[in-house]
This record gives sequence, C-alpha cells and structure tokens, in this order.
Amino acid sequence: MKTTARDIMVKEFKTLSPDAPLSQALEIFKESKSQGRTIFGIMVTNGQGSIAGMISMYDILLFLLPKHVKIWGNISDIEIEGIIERTIGKIDDLLVGDIMTPKIISIDPDMHLMMILDIMIKKHVRRLPVVFNDEAIGIVYISDLFNHLIERV
Amino acid sequence: MGKDTLTGLKVRHAMRKQIVMLQPHDTIDCCIQYLIKYKINALLIGHDGQKPLGVVSKTDIMGAWYSGMELSTPIEMIMNAPPLFCLPEDTLDSALNTMKTNNIYRLYALNEDTNCAVGAIAYPDIVGMLYLYCSKCAQGLFNKAQKTIQQSVKRYKVFEVMTKDVESCREDDSLESVVEILSASRFGAILIADNDNYPKGVISKTDIILCYRHGLQLNIPARRIMSTPVALCHQEAPVESAIKSMILKDLHRLFVVPRKNQPVSGIISLSDAARHRSGSCHACISSRIKVDEEC
Repeated sequence: MKTTARDIMVKEFKTLSPDAPLSQALEIFKESKSQGRTIFGIMVTNGQGSIAGMISMYDILLFLLPKHVKIWGNISDIEIEGIIERTIGKIDDLLVGDIMTPKIISIDPDMHLMMILDIMIKKHVRRLPVVFNDEAIGIVYISDLFNHLIERV
Repeated sequence: MGKDTLTGLKVRHAMRKQIVMLQPHDTIDCCIQYLIKYKINALLIGHDGQKPLGVVSKTDIMGAWYSGMELSTPIEMIMNAPPLFCLPEDTLDSALNTMKTNNIYRLYALNEDTNCAVGAIAYPDIVGMLYLYCSKCAQGLFNKAQKTIQQSVKRYKVFEVMTKDVESCREDDSLESVVEILSASRFGAILIADNDNYPKGVISKTDIILCYRHGLQLNIPARRIMSTPVALCHQEAPVESAIKSMILKDLHRLFVVPRKNQPVSGIISLSDAARHRSGSCHACISSRIKVDEEC
C-alpha cells in the first residue's frame, strides 16, 4: 500500500538554475504542454542539487499582471495591441531567480500522504518538493495524490 | 481653502490591501526578488503578526550596492525605521500632507487593534482613484456619451503639471553616476540623453536593482542597460491622456516633448498628478465629484 511521499512522488522532473534566463522556464512550460502533461511549477536548484526555490506559472502571471489593473476595467477604449507584447518583452531581462518563490515548503520522503494532504490544503500549494540529505529527489503533485486516493474509494 | 477632488475621501478608499513584509534577517537578494515580483517600490520589515519595524525601498537597495554591500546582507542593516503609519479612516488629504511634510512616497495603514499593517498608500494609487472618478464623470475626456459637455471644459495640460528641470545622464556615463543622481531624485527613473537633450533611453531604479542582483559592476556604461524607446508625451496633451498612457504602459513617468522629434522639455509623473490634488479638468476645483462608498 502506498502511504508515503516516496511512493507517489515523480522522480523525473526538470530543474532550473536561479541564473537561467526566464525564457528557459517558458520553454519548459510550453514543452510540457506539447508532451501531454502540463506542469505548473519547476523546481529551482543550485549547483549541488539543493532547492533554491520554485518558479510557477503563477509567479510569471503575477509579473505580467499590470500594476493598475483595477483601473483597466474602467477604460473603455484600450488599444490592446502592443500592450501585451510590451509586457512580455520585459521577461527578456529577467532571470529565473528574479521572480521565483524563494521560500518554499519541502517534505521528507517518509512523510505520510495524509500529512502531505494537510500541508497542501492548509498552505494552498499544489506541488511539494521531496528532499533527502539536502537534495531534491522528487515532487509530489496534488493531482497524483488525488488520483491515488480516489483509486482506493 | 477650496474643496478639491480628494476632500472627504479616506485612506481606505485608495489604499492597496496587499502588504508584502519580510523578516529582518532576510537578505537584500530576497528583498529585490519581492520588489520585482510584486512590482512595488518598497516593502515592510517585521515579524509576523507584529507591528512592522521598518521599510526598505528601491533607493535603499541602490545605496547598498553603491556602498559595496553583499547581496547576502540582512535587510535590517539597510531598513529605515520606524515606518510612518496612518489609519484607514484618516482622510486622504491628511495622508498626502504627511507624505509631503516627511518627504516620503508611501504610507502604511495600521489597524490599531491588531497593530498590523492592513494597507499601503502611494501617489500612483491616488492618481488611479482620481482617474476612475474622471472616467465616470460626464465631463471626463474619455466619456464618449458626453461630447458636448467635454468640449466646453478647460482641461489641465501636461505642461501645467510637469517638472521642467529634467536631469539626465549620457550613454557613456557609468552606472555609478546614474545611481548617484537617481538616489537623490524623487523620480523613479532617469533620462539618458545626448548633449542636446534628445532622448536616447531610460534607466529606472528597477533596472538598477536588477543589475545589482545579476552581479553587474557599477563601472559599466548606462547604454548597456538602458531601456529604449523612451516613453514620451506632448506638452500640450491633456493630463488625463498622459495618466491613461502611464496606467496602460505600467509606467510611473513620461518624458515630455514640445513636439515630435524635439528635445525633452519636462517630465510628468503619477506623483505630480497626485500632488495636483484634483482630477484632470477645472470642473473638479469648484464641484467635487461625488464618491460612492462602493467605488
């Protein structure tokens, strides 16, 4: 019976260096979509394999969100052409480490599935890196946890 | 003193509710990440659930780079303490006066019961709110239904609000010189121009703190990191259209030219528009726009 993080974690996953251009993260997101398993977050590790943070679609979308978006709804004649391109153009100057989430929760490979579920619900996270001896060895996705639990219903 | 558009409005009407706070032992590197990610100019320092201890702004970060500090330095070493607070129920007028008197660009709203920060107010937020009222006003420039009223309204032009003395750097100037000027400037960016003040590029405080984080050196020339093209507006344009342009382009300032292909004659920022304390037409001076609670 699968009961721990080790049992359901994905062992093959992409990682990025904090010094990688942000465009590399975008490539991985696009690639995952074309390969049929869309990923929503990529682990960021330093040279020794320890976790430096996580870069998620949310981090990128947060950066793309216009600062005064509250007012946009009241501007009736927005000439949208060029605005999106200009915002996306700003990504070229950024590195993964600039907008990643540096403070992330990681779990031990022996953590029980229900404890993992508890963290995911309380902290509103959908993926948790699994760390052993200060090295990232896997990721537990909420979808895998969900599928594993409903199989047993 | 006559009424202006902000009379009677409270801080809670305009404040941003998203508060970003880091711990005193977090690093300058981490602080830059949060400033970039949340597109903010400053953040609070403190312990969870307690009254914030200090503030760190992009200008403080530039100072840290200039003085040779490592990115791993704890932010408590560079924070300004204590932060200045206002209350959500304070009037916007009093908040603006506090900001002006203390020469600061933002105030944090404190919940007196919990002692926690519940909002932040900065000049661009006030302009944003003014813009909302202007856009709903029958006399607003962009209100298509009321063309006849609009034509009779005298509007503020950019040259009436802009700052005329525009500091600039040359493309060959080092980032060190750029940081020196930007640190003393109330604007968030500096013009890079040629000797006749024709615009070549712009360097913002955001660009500078990114350079620091990316490990660049202070001796590199401005041209290497400046953004192009320069966002410009005409000095005869209505203030309202300049504000709209800044909001849509996510910019805090536009450089002003008398006509196309002319040297820069001024700079208009969202802060200038907020300091003006009115909407963008003269109607606001004599009759304040009615503000509904749910706005």
